Amino acid sequence: MIKVTIDGREVELENPVTVLEAAKQAGVIIPTLCYFEGLTPFGGCRLCLVEVEKLPRLQTSCTIMTADGMVVRTETDQIKAARRSILEFLLINHPLDCPFCDKAGECDLQDLVALYGPEAGRFAEGKRRHPESFDDPIIVRNMERCVLCTRCVRMCDGPQGAYAISVTGRGSHSFVEPFSGGKYNCEYCGNCLTVCPVGAIMSRLHRHSYRPWFVEKEIETVCGFCGVGCSMVLQMRENSIIRAIPRAGVGFNKGLLCVRGRFGYENVESEEQLTTPLMKVDGDLKPVSWEEAITFITESLKEIKDAFGGKAIGAVASGRCTNEDNYMLQKFIRFVLGSNNIDSSARNYYAPAEAYLERIFGQGITANLISGIANSDGVFVVGGDPTAINPILGLQIRASCRGGGKIIALGAPGGLKRFVAYELMPTPYSEEIILSAIVGRLLKGKALSGENTTVEAKLRSLKIPSDEDLGMTGISSEDIVRASDDLAGMATPVVVIGPDIIQRERASKNLARIFLLSERPNYQGVMDMGCLPDFLPGGRPVELEMFRHQIEGALGLKAPQDKGLTLFEMINEAETGGLKALYVMGENPLFNIPDSAKVKKALGNLDLLVVQDVHLTETSGIADVVLPATAWPEKEGTFTNLERRVQRVRKARRGRMASYGRDDWKIIADIAERFGMTKQYLRVEDVWEEITHVSALHTGLGYEDIAEGKAVWPYCGKPLRGMEGDFSVEGLDGLPRIRGSKKPYLMIERSLYHSGTFSRRSKALLSIYPEPYLMINPLLSERLGLAEGEKARISNERGVLELKVKLNEDVSDSQVFLSNTFEGAGAMGLIGFGIDSVIGSLYIKDNTVRVEKVRV
Amino acid sequence: MDIFEEIRALSEKYPDRRGALLHALYVAQKDAGWLSQEALNTVSNALNLPQATVKGVATFYSMYKHRPMGRHLIQLCTNVACMIMGAESLVDFLKGKYGVEPGGTTGDGRFSLVIMECIGACDRAPAMLVDTDFHSDLTEDNIVEIIEEYK
Repeated sequence: MIKVTIDGREVELENPVTVLEAAKQAGVIIPTLCYFEGLTPFGGCRLCLVEVEKLPRLQTSCTIMTADGMVVRTETDQIKAARRSILEFLLINHPLDCPFCDKAGECDLQDLVALYGPEAGRFAEGKRRHPESFDDPIIVRNMERCVLCTRCVRMCDGPQGAYAISVTGRGSHSFVEPFSGGKYNCEYCGNCLTVCPVGAIMSRLHRHSYRPWFVEKEIETVCGFCGVGCSMVLQMRENSIIRAIPRAGVGFNKGLLCVRGRFGYENVESEEQLTTPLMKVDGDLKPVSWEEAITFITESLKEIKDAFGGKAIGAVASGRCTNEDNYMLQKFIRFVLGSNNIDSSARNYYAPAEAYLERIFGQGITANLISGIANSDGVFVVGGDPTAINPILGLQIRASCRGGGKIIALGAPGGLKRFVAYELMPTPYSEEIILSAIVGRLLKGKALSGENTTVEAKLRSLKIPSDEDLGMTGISSEDIVRASDDLAGMATPVVVIGPDIIQRERASKNLARIFLLSERPNYQGVMDMGCLPDFLPGGRPVELEMFRHQIEGALGLKAPQDKGLTLFEMINEAETGGLKALYVMGENPLFNIPDSAKVKKALGNLDLLVVQDVHLTETSGIADVVLPATAWPEKEGTFTNLERRVQRVRKARRGRMASYGRDDWKIIADIAERFGMTKQYLRVEDVWEEITHVSALHTGLGYEDIAEGKAVWPYCGKPLRGMEGDFSVEGLDGLPRIRGSKKPYLMIERSLYHSGTFSRRSKALLSIYPEPYLMINPLLSERLGLAEGEKARISNERGVLELKVKLNEDVSDSQVFLSNTFEGAGAMGLIGFGIDSVIGSLYIKDNTVRVEKVRV
Repeated sequence: MDIFEEIRALSEKYPDRRGALLHALYVAQKDAGWLSQEALNTVSNALNLPQATVKGVATFYSMYKHRPMGRHLIQLCTNVACMIMGAESLVDFLKGKYGVEPGGTTGDGRFSLVIMECIGACDRAPAMLVDTDFHSDLTEDNIVEIIEEYK
C-alpha cells in the first residue's frame, strides 16, 4: 500500500501510478496539455509541474511515479509562475487567431491561458509562419497553432497504429506532417482530431459552420455502420448533426472511432432521403399518401395469402435496422401472415457460419468480448481484413501485437501488414488445404482432449493434405509447421473469421475465442429476433414444438411449423413463380446479392415487391411500393453487436419527411393491424418489452440495463440448446480441387471507407474514395499493359464494366478487386453464386473475368 | 547492389530495424546527394518502417538533405576560431568567385555550399569539408586550388 499526500489530501494506492493519476483519485485536478488518457506519457508540455517534497526541482506529474510517503503540492505560487511562463513560451509562435479558429470555446490552450495568464507576451520578434494546409479533403492542418504536444502522433502510432503522421523538422521548425507533406492518404480515423488540444488539426467537414457553444444537445448512440457497435455522441444543432465524436469512458471503443463512424453520418442528411411513399403507376414510381400505400399493400397481401397461402409470401430483414424493427417484421410475417420465409443478407456468410460454429462448439462460441483480443497472446486472422471490415476490432488486434501477441494471417493482411508476424498467401481457393494441413499437424502434435467426442471423430476422419497437395497451394510444409507450432504455443488464441473464408472454413481449435466479422451494425440482432427461416426469436428452432408452443402462448398467435425459405431459396422460388410477394426492409438485394441479373429477373417475376428504405436503391427502382423509413440517427431502439452486446440507439434528429416520419417497426405494425393484430404499440419500449417476454435470451433486460452498457446476452435468460450436437461436414475425406484459371478471379474489395449503399451518399467518404476502381497487382497490370489510372474493361457472361485501374502490390496477381459500393459498378453484379448444401451459406462461383485495356 | 538490397544487408547488423534507420538514410542519400520522397520510400520499404516515421527522423538531422544538392558539397565552418581566422571573408570570396550563397548551389550544379557548425579543427582554422575530405588552414589562394580538384 502506498500513501501519498496531495494538496493535504491523503490517498492510498494499491499499485504505483503516476502522481497525475493519484491526484485524479484524490479529486485534485492538475492542468495538462500533452497528457491524454490512453496515450503513452510524454512529459513534453511541462504544464503538469508539481512540487514534491524532498525533490529539488518541479516534477512533471504525468511521468513521475508515486512513492510511499510522498508529499505533493499542485498549486503553489512557484508552480503558477512556472505555468504562466510556459504558456508565454507557447504563445510566442501561436497566432492567437481565436476569433477565426473553430476550436475556440473548446480549446485547452485557451482555457489554460485564461487560468494562468499571461495577459501579454514580451516576445518582440515575429511569429513563425506556416501556411494552413488544404491539401487534404478531410483534415485541415494549421501548424502555426500547433503546440507540439505530439498527442496526434502518439495516437496515430499508438492506439490507432496507422503511423501516418510524424513530427518533422527540428526546434521551432517542427511540424506535424503526413509523409506526403500534404494529403494524408491514411485510414482517416480522425482520432487525431479528438486528441488535438488546439486548432492545429481540424475537420474540414464543418469548417466555420458552427461554434462549440452552438451545440444544443448531445445524443449518446451507437454507430450504424458495422457490427462492432461503437458508442458515439452526435452533437446536434436544431435538426442537423454538427459532428459525430467518440467519448472517452462511454462504450468499449475507448474514445476511438473509425472513418465511417466519424465522417459517414452525412448520408443521413442527404437530399436523396425519401420523404413520401411511392407506388408504381404505369411503370413509374409516383408519390402517394401513406393511406393509399398501406391499403394497397394490405389488399395485395390478402389476395396473395388467400389464393396461394402464407408460404407464397417472404420477407427480407435488415442488419441496418434495430432489433425492434426486425422483431416486428418477423412477427408480422411469421405470426400474422403465417410464413417462415424470412431471412436477411446475414445469410451471405454471418448467419450460417455462426449457426455452424455453434453446432460444433456449443452455443455462444462467437460471443466473445472484443476488449479481450488486446490481452490475448496470439491472433489467427482468416479470410478478411478486420481493420477494414470492423475497424475498431482491428485496432484490438493491433493492440494485441503491441502487447507481444503473435498475429498470423491466412490471406492478405491488409491493414495488419505492419503487425503480422507473417502471413500465409496461398493460391486462390486453396485456403482449405492450408487449414486442413494445419489441423493435421496439430493432431500429430498431441492427443485429443476427449472433451468433445463428436468434433474429435470428425477431425480424425479429416483428410490431411500430402506434401504434393500442398505444392499446389504455394505454401511450403515448413510454413505449415511454423504456423501450427505458433498456434499450438498460444495460451489464449483468438481466431478472427472474415466473410471471404466462410465456405471453406473447417478447421478451428478448441479453446480458441472466435470472432466473426460483421459488416452491418445489427446482423446479430437480426438473428436473435428470429429473422431466420428456421429459428424463432431467441434462437429457438421453429421445428421444435416445445419452443414454438411457448412463444405462441406468449403471443397468442400461431406460427407455421415447417422451416421457411432462405434468402437464396426465396430468390429461386420467385424466379420459378413459387413465391408471389416479397417484403424487403432496409436491404438492397439487387445490389447486395451476387448475380444481379438473376436477382432482377426473380424479383421482377413477383406479384408484389414492397421495399422499405431510407433512400431509393436499385431494388426500390423495380418495386411496386416504396415506403420511406427513418435512418439510424432518427430512431430509437437497440442494436446487438458481434460480441452480442445489446446497445441503445437513440434518436438525434427528425427525418426529412417530418410530418410523415415513421420507424420501420411502426410501418409494419400499421399493416399488421389491418390484418387483425390486436396488440397496440405506442412506443418502441412496448416492442422491446414484448421481445423480453418472447425471447429467452433477453428475459428481464430493460432499456435501463442496456443503457448501463452491460447487456451482453444471455442476460438473465436461459442458455440455448445443449452444448454439442452432431453436425455434418461435406467431403471430410477429400480435398477441394484448386480452381486453376488463366483468367483472374473477381473478388469483392471490402474497403475501410465504404460499406455499400449508405456510405456512397456520404460526401466525406466520397472525397476519400470517390469512384469505383479495379485494384490489381502490378505484375498483372504489366501483363495486361495497363498502367495506374488507365481504364480496364472487365467482363464475363453476366456483364461488362469499365473501371479505372489502381495498383496494389499486396494483392495476388491471380485476383482483381472491386468494391460493392457504387451504383452501376458493384462487384456482386459479375459474381455467380451457389448455396452450400450443409450450412446454407452463399458461396461464390464463376467469378472469373476477362480483363483488358480499353483503347481510347 | 542497389540501395534496397544494400539497406536490407546492413539492417542485419542492427538489433532492430529502427536502429538501422540513420545508416540506411545515409546509404539512400549517397548517390543523389539528397533524399527525395522516393528515396525515403525505398528506405521505408527496405526496413518495413512507416513512411512518416522515416520522414520524421530524416528531417530532424541537418546532414540529411531534402532538396537537390550540387555534385560536391562544401561545408565551411564559421564558428568562433574559424571566424577569427577569416572564414567569413572566405564565404564572401566563394560567393564572388562561384556565385554561390550559403545554402545554395552553383548554377552549373557543381557545388553546394553549407555553413557548418564547429568541425573540431580550431587549431588549423579556417577549415572545411568537401564531400567527406577534410581541408584546413584555408586562404583565398588555396581554397580555389582545392575546390578546382572537384569537377
